[in-house]
Amino acid sequence: MDFHPDPSLASFRQEVRQFLQTQVPADLKGQPRSTRSTREQVMRWQKVLNAHGWGAPYWAKKDGGTGWSVPQILVFDDECAAAGTPTQDPFVQKLLGPVLNEFATPEQKAEHMPAVFNGERLWCQGFSEPGSGSDLASLRTRAELDGDHYVVNGQKIWTSYAHESDWIFLLVRTNPEVKKQAGISFLLVDMKTPGITVRPIRSIDDSHHLNETFFDNVRVPAKNLVGAEGAGWSITKFLLNNEHATTADLPVQKRYMQQLRQLATTQRVGGELLIDQPEFALKLARLDAEVQAIGMMVQRVAAMEQEHNPASHTLGSMLKIRGTELQQKISECLVEALGDYGAVAYPDPHEDLDPAQPLLPLQEVARGMANNMFFHRASTIYGGTSEVQRSIIAKMLFQL
Amino acid sequence: MDFNLNSEQQLLQDSVRRYVDKAYSFEARTALVNAKQGGSTGNWAIFAENGWLMAALPEEYGGLGGSLIDTALIAQELGRGLVIEPYLGCAVLAAQTLAAGGTAAQKERLLPLLADGSQRIALAYSEPASRGMPETVSLRAERDANGYVLQGRKSLVLGAVGAQQFIVSAQVSGAKDITLLLVDANSAGLKRQAMPLHDGTWVEELTFDGVQVGADNVLNGGLAALRASLAHGIVTQCAELVGAMEKTIELTAEYLKTRQQFGVAIGNFQALQHRIADMAAEMEVARSMLHAALASVENDDDATRQKTLSAAKALVCRAAKFVCGQGIQLHGGIGMTEEYQVGHYYKRAIVADLLLGGSDRHEAACAAALQSELRAR
Ligand SMILES: Cc1cc2nc3c(=O)[nH]c(=O)nc-3n(C[C@H](O)[C@H](O)[C@H](O)COP(=O)(O)OP(=O)(O)OC[C@H]3O[C@@H](n4cnc5c(N)ncnc54)[C@H](O)[C@@H]3O)c2cc1C
Repeated sequence: MDFHPDPSLASFRQEVRQFLQTQVPADLKGQPRSTRSTREQVMRWQKVLNAHGWGAPYWAKKDGGTGWSVPQILVFDDECAAAGTPTQDPFVQKLLGPVLNEFATPEQKAEHMPAVFNGERLWCQGFSEPGSGSDLASLRTRAELDGDHYVVNGQKIWTSYAHESDWIFLLVRTNPEVKKQAGISFLLVDMKTPGITVRPIRSIDDSHHLNETFFDNVRVPAKNLVGAEGAGWSITKFLLNNEHATTADLPVQKRYMQQLRQLATTQRVGGELLIDQPEFALKLARLDAEVQAIGMMVQRVAAMEQEHNPASHTLGSMLKIRGTELQQKISECLVEALGDYGAVAYPDPHEDLDPAQPLLPLQEVARGMANNMFFHRASTIYGGTSEVQRSIIAKMLFQL
Repeated sequence: MDFNLNSEQQLLQDSVRRYVDKAYSFEARTALVNAKQGGSTGNWAIFAENGWLMAALPEEYGGLGGSLIDTALIAQELGRGLVIEPYLGCAVLAAQTLAAGGTAAQKERLLPLLADGSQRIALAYSEPASRGMPETVSLRAERDANGYVLQGRKSLVLGAVGAQQFIVSAQVSGAKDITLLLVDANSAGLKRQAMPLHDGTWVEELTFDGVQVGADNVLNGGLAALRASLAHGIVTQCAELVGAMEKTIELTAEYLKTRQQFGVAIGNFQALQHRIADMAAEMEVARSMLHAALASVENDDDATRQKTLSAAKALVCRAAKFVCGQGIQLHGGIGMTEEYQVGHYYKRAIVADLLLGGSDRHEAACAAALQSELRAR
C-alpha cells in the first residue's frame, strides 16, 4: 500500500480549477447543488463544458468523452461542486450515455449524441411504475409492435424532471408470455409524442421534480429500440452497475460541511458561538470523521472500478447505504444548527422571490437547507433502497 | 403506579380522538394548511366548547381543575391528527405562565377568557441566541414614569398569529430575575412578522422598538413561573410526538400489509418486520419517558424535575425523528409526497425538536446537572 497522493492528480485538479476560475461565467457558479439544476442552467453549462472539450466527463475517449480515470472524475466532480456550477444532466451522463455507447446503433448515436454534447436535449428515466418499484421486473407498461411502430400504453411514476425533459428512456413489456425479465425492452421516446401526459407530484421538500407519466397509445418508431427486443433487463443491469464511486455524492456532502462550519462560527447560542458549545463541537467532529472515512471509501471503490474489480459492486452498495445515511445526518445537522430558524419554512429555493415581501430572519443563509434535509429522506429510497442494497450485500458477500 | 386511564380520562381521550378522526381528516388538514392561517377559529371555538382549553386551569379562574395528565391526553390525540391550531402556544404555554406567575387580578381577568377561547395570549420568551432556553434573555425593559419601555426581539412565538396579547420575558437593568410582562399585540413600536413552520403551524418574530408597557402589566413570577410553564410545554410536546409516532406506525403497518412487491406483501420481508418492531419499541420507550416526565412533575424537587424534563425532551424528539423518518423509508417513493400523510409526521418531529430547545441543548443541560451532582460527591 502507498498512501501518497498521485502527483498527476494534483496538477489535474489545478487544471480543472483554472478552467472554472477563468472560463466559466460568474453566474454559472455559486449554485445550490443537491438536485438537478434548472433546465436553462443545465443546458448552458453543458455548452460551456462542451466548448472546452469536456462535454462528457465520465465517458471513454472512443465515445467522445474525456477518457478520465475514475479518480480524475472524482476530482472534477469535487471542484465543480465546490465552485457551485450547475449540474449536468445526470440521466444522460451517468445512466443512458454509457448504455448508448455500448448498445446503440450508429443511426441512434447520430441522432442523439450531438444533442447531448451541445446541451440541446435533456433526458428523464422511465423505469418505476405505481406497482413496480424495488421489483422493477414486474413492470406492466406495454409496447406492441404495429408495423414499424411500437404502441405504448401504461403509466410510469417518480419520473424525475419529466416536465423539463425532451426525451425519456423507457422500460416496456414487449412480451407478456415469457419469464418476466425476458419480456422487457428498452425504448427511447420523444416526450413530444402525442399521447404522453405528465402530471406533477409535489414532494415534501416543497419542490416539483417528481412526476407521473402516462402513455396512451403513444406511437414510437421501432428504430428507437435499444438492443434487441427483450434485452431490456440486461441493459438495465448494465446501466445500474455503473458509477459506484459517485453514489455517495461526496462533493455535495463536503459543501454541506463547509456550510456547517460557517454556521458554527457565525451563530450565537447563549453568550457563545455555536462552535464553543461542546455538544455541537463533538457532533461536528463525528461528522468530519465520517466524511473522511466515506471519502476514503469513495477512493477505494474508485480504485477497484478502475481495475474492473467486481468487488467494487459490494463495496459500492455499502457506500450507497452509508453515504446516503450520511447525507441525511449532515443535512439534519445543518437545520439543527439554525436553532429556532431551522423550523421555519422559508420560500421555496426554486422559485423567484417576491421583492415586495420582506426577508424573513436568517433567510439568506437558511433558505433551502431544510428543503435539502427533506429531500435527502429520498436518498435511501431512490437508486435502490437501503433495504434492497443490504440484501444484495448479504447475498454477494456471504451467499445468503 | 396506575397506568390505566380512569373513566373521566378515558372519556376525554375518546372525545378528542373522535373530533380528530371526524373533523381533522388528512384532507381537511391539508385544506387548513393551504389556507395559511395556522388553523381555523371555528376549530378553536370547538376546543373551547369541549373544555380542552380549560382542562388544566384552576377552577377558581374558570378552568376544570384538571392536571398535566389531561393536557397530555389531549396533546397525544392532537399529535395523531397533526392538528395545527396553537394548542401548545396559547392553551398551554401562555395559559400556564399566567397561571403560575400572574397576579390575582391578571388571572381573574384573563384566565376565564383563555378558558372560553374568547381571547388568545402567546408566550414570547425565545430569542435567536436562547434557542428555547428561558434563562438567556437580552430583550431589555427600562423603567420609566409610566412603567417599562421594551427594546429587543423574540423569535418563533408560537400561537402569535391571532393573539391579542403577549407575555414577554425581559431583562430589567439591575434585576437578578427576568421579568414577565403582558404586552398588547397592537402596541406602538411592536413589529410582528408572521412565518410558517414546516409542519403547517405559524409563528411570529417580534421586534420591540420602544414599546411602552404599564407597570400593572408586570407578572408576579419570573424565571420560575416560566420554567413551570415550559414543563407543561415539554410534556405537551412529548405527548404530541407519542401520538404522532403511534399514527405513523399504524399507517406503516397498514402499508406493509397492502403494498405488494415481488409477488408478496412487503410485510413478508423480515427486514421490514424487524424495522417496524424497532419503531414500535422506540415509541414505547418514548411513551415510558413521557410517563417518567409526568411522574417527575408530580413528585420531584425542582432540580430533578428539570433534568427529567430535559431528558424527556431530547429522548422523545430523537425517537420521533427516527420513527417518523422510517415511516417514510418503509413507504418508499409514496412517503416522499406532499399529498401523502406519512411525510408530514416527520416534519412535525423535526419542528418539535427545534422548538423549546433542541435535543443537543437539553442533553447538554442534563450533562451539566450530572457533572455538578457527581462532582459534589
Ligand atoms: C426522489 C425520487 C426520485 C426518483 N426518480 C426516479 C426516476 O427518475 N425514474 C424512475 O424510474 N424512478 C425514480 N424513482 C423511483 C425509485 O427508484 C423507487 O422509489 C424505488 O425503486 C423504490 O420503489 P418504491 O417507491 O415502489 O418502493 P417499494 O419497492 O414499494 O418499497 C417500499 C419499502 O419496501 C422495502 N422493500 C421492497 N422490497 C424489499 C425486499 N425485497 N426486501 C426488503 N425490503 C424491501 C423497500 O426498501 C421500502 O422500504 C425516484 C424515487 C424518488 C423517491
